[in-house]
Amino acid sequence: MSDDLSAVLELREALPVFEESGLASIPYSLRLMPGDCLLIACRDPLRATRFADLCSGLTPLVSGHALCLGLDWEKLAETRAWALRGRIGRVMQQGAWIDLFGTDLNILVQQLHHTRTPTQDLVDEATALARRFGLPGLPSLAPGRLSKADRAKAACVRAFLGEPRLLLLEDPVEQENADMMTAFLAELTAARERGCGVIWFSREPELWHGYNAMGTQRFRLLDEGLMPMKQVV
Amino acid sequence: MREELPFYRRFLHRLGGLTRRQLRFTLMLVGASWGVVREASRPTSWRRTVIYEFKSTLRQSAGGGLFSTLFTAALTGFGIVAQAIYWLGIAGMADTTDSLLATVLVREIAPVLVGIILLGRSAMLSLTQLGQLTIGGELRALQAQGIDPFLTLVMPRALATMLASFTLGVVFSVIALSVGYGVCRLHAIITMPLWTFLYDIVGAMKPIDYIGIPLKLVLSGFLLSLATQLTGLDATRSDTLATLLPRGFARGIMVIMIVNVVLGVAVA
Repeated sequence: MSDDLSAVLELREALPVFEESGLASIPYSLRLMPGDCLLIACRDPLRATRFADLCSGLTPLVSGHALCLGLDWEKLAETRAWALRGRIGRVMQQGAWIDLFGTDLNILVQQLHHTRTPTQDLVDEATALARRFGLPGLPSLAPGRLSKADRAKAACVRAFLGEPRLLLLEDPVEQENADMMTAFLAELTAARERGCGVIWFSREPELWHGYNAMGTQRFRLLDEGLMPMKQVV
Repeated sequence: MREELPFYRRFLHRLGGLTRRQLRFTLMLVGASWGVVREASRPTSWRRTVIYEFKSTLRQSAGGGLFSTLFTAALTGFGIVAQAIYWLGIAGMADTTDSLLATVLVREIAPVLVGIILLGRSAMLSLTQLGQLTIGGELRALQAQGIDPFLTLVMPRALATMLASFTLGVVFSVIALSVGYGVCRLHAIITMPLWTFLYDIVGAMKPIDYIGIPLKLVLSGFLLSLATQLTGLDATRSDTLATLLPRGFARGIMVIMIVNVVLGVAVA
């Protein structure tokens, strides 16, 4: 577990601009420490995407602060903000894949852009990760030609690649691809042990039923804001 | 509230709104041009993803456009160069052939035709891709991964198209002149060797042409690519390919013509 005492992600009364974000214009507060996991139930996938955008500093604020690794998104120079986003692993639901490239390049592009790790090392790491998620290797077909289950696995490979410091996972596992849950939880646990903070959004909170690891909090993302959720064992 | 304003202020309000709307894209183009120059001069901008995009665009535009350029150049050589040599010879003005070909073909026609080839083959493709990425929200996903679309897509594509425009312009001029020479030689209209023919045309060019012609090719390729890419990036939810493509084509043609006319007048 990391000894870092600064929060991986912190929202301090962060009030997003409604016109830009589409989120309810109310202040959001949360504090995610290294290795912590926030499980957020959200029926509306668009709302989850918008909240993840807020955490990634892509949404301007009317007031309050949004900090990632102790750095305020609003005060950060543009180039540094791009670099900081490079440390975030994301599973996205909206416009996640670019069909101009193969799935392999879609997976590798973030690491190729932000790091100087040799390409072959990245390919090896991604291939190993893909195999752990049940893919035969690094998929090279266009994302549109993969099955939905394979795309979900590839999305997880992309998010976990490069040891990110923060994971924003929008519905990474659904009922129809629940077979990858074991591999997913193994990677999630390994990432948390490295000190990575995790926010896991889900439309189907029953999927978390067995997940009670230490440092896990549960919330609901509603029109009224982020509400704590009672844990059902 | 607006009804309470006096007539002249309402008129000024409308005039101001119209001017801003009309100038919006031009100002965007100027800003983006400066952005490309500034980003390209930073060594840290040239990351693997940027170099990949630069190479693939260069391959697509220069390599892919080569056959179209060769074909158009051959037709131009046959239709314009050979005819010019033939009719000037008939009219007893054979001495002006070299300067006429240098002025008309190399300086005026080549940049325009190469610009149109690039517009059709590469810039419209870029417009379609960026338009679809913008409308589909994929650019937002790219941003969420810390990848600036301007740095990763716009900058390398604009620079690659600029380089392709210069390359294809030179290829076009050489092929058009060579084919024109070949046709005339076949019909025994001229008897001099090819190298002498090309040397005479080069000799007929003014020193300013050595700046003006490359500048036309480079600027039209650069601005053409930027104009079409910005049209794609500027797409809104209400846009479709049916609205984007005509807009991008009109802007592309406008850029080619303006660059060629302005430089034709300024650097003559």
